[in-house]
Amino acid sequence: MVDGDEVALATLYDRYAGVVYSVARRILGDESAAEEILQDIFYQLWRRAADFDSARGTLPGWLLVAARNRAIDRLRRRTVTEEISENVALPLNLERATARNEIMSKVKGALNGLPAGQRQALELAYFQGLTHTEIAERTGEPLGTIKTRLRAALESLRRVLNP
Amino acid sequence: MNEHLQFEQDLDLYALGALDGDEKRDLESHLRACAECARKLELARGRVALLALNAPSVTPRPQVRERLLRQIRAKPLSGRPRALSAAWRWATPAFAGLALVLAIAVGMLNEQNRDLRRRLSDLETARAQQEAQTARARAVLDVLTAPETIRVTLVAGATRPVPQGKAFYHLRKGLLFYAANLPALPAGETYQLWLVPVQGNPISAGIFKTDAQGNGEIVLPSLPAGVMAKAFAVTVEPSGGVPQPTGPKVLIGAVS
Repeated sequence: MVDGDEVALATLYDRYAGVVYSVARRILGDESAAEEILQDIFYQLWRRAADFDSARGTLPGWLLVAARNRAIDRLRRRTVTEEISENVALPLNLERATARNEIMSKVKGALNGLPAGQRQALELAYFQGLTHTEIAERTGEPLGTIKTRLRAALESLRRVLNP
Repeated sequence: MNEHLQFEQDLDLYALGALDGDEKRDLESHLRACAECARKLELARGRVALLALNAPSVTPRPQVRERLLRQIRAKPLSGRPRALSAAWRWATPAFAGLALVLAIAVGMLNEQNRDLRRRLSDLETARAQQEAQTARARAVLDVLTAPETIRVTLVAGATRPVPQGKAFYHLRKGLLFYAANLPALPAGETYQLWLVPVQGNPISAGIFKTDAQGNGEIVLPSLPAGVMAKAFAVTVEPSGGVPQPTGPKVLIGAVS
């Protein structure tokens, strides 16, 4: 039996599964763990469809945040964050594949353009889920340096996304 | 004020999950008191979320899609007609979904049985009202968005139809845009719609094509939350669109 819900879910899956899976895979480096997260997130989406307000573009933002948070929880063996219900306002429209590719190359371009220290700090924070204190411990750099690097890296990202 | 600015600078770090200790606690208590920072946090989360796109692109195996579809078929959410498609397409609060979540809870939590049943009944009533409203909204939108809908622009006699657009914008519910009589563009160019906010740079509301009659539309694009619009404009841009307008403005309308 195929009803409207199932078709809608399949459409959303086809549109966003690649992005969700890629971020989980990058964080966990493990195919089957990333697949579990991918399935889990879309199952949650199916159960919580009514919470998403498409006019505000909350759905792709939620998917990206959920993928990253679930993967980080698993990586750091933390208890799973029960509900990811925060509002996320994406600055750009991810619906169309062409727009997604364009944004992807912008983000990659911004990160590639960062000095090595800034890029390392940002990647440790985003892909390893480390706080600035933990990054300072991990890299042996002073906390103040890490904060400055993260701020500068995020400022570059902001400039690229909201020119 | 300086303190407020400091918090504002930390929103990106907070969205990234990099703050800890006192700084995190102080910012969280500021967020509870400052609606402006809470709104800016949504935007910061959005920017940080896009870092996901820096992960190398990998494609999941097709088995995952099959498992997911089997999983949802195994536990059908009966009594929730088209909640996902409705929420996705029309952004309508689907009380049916809430009623369903409550229905599951009734089964699981016997102690709260009675209370939940009462709330469920309230929600069913609310849902019935909601559905009536939704049906009318959907009927209106169906006419506006159906491919077979004929659009006729009426003008004073002997005047050639001029390009024009109509934008319907609601801060929370979204944007509908219809254009008519636009000239066909050469290959490699596209029309792009812009929301010009009261403050800041224009925000892209998407690109659109026109049909043989010069009609085009953009229905419920993803936009940042709650942006006050000063005007809407359409420009001609290279295929695929651009982050900020570069080409000639072919339509512009200020919010009165």
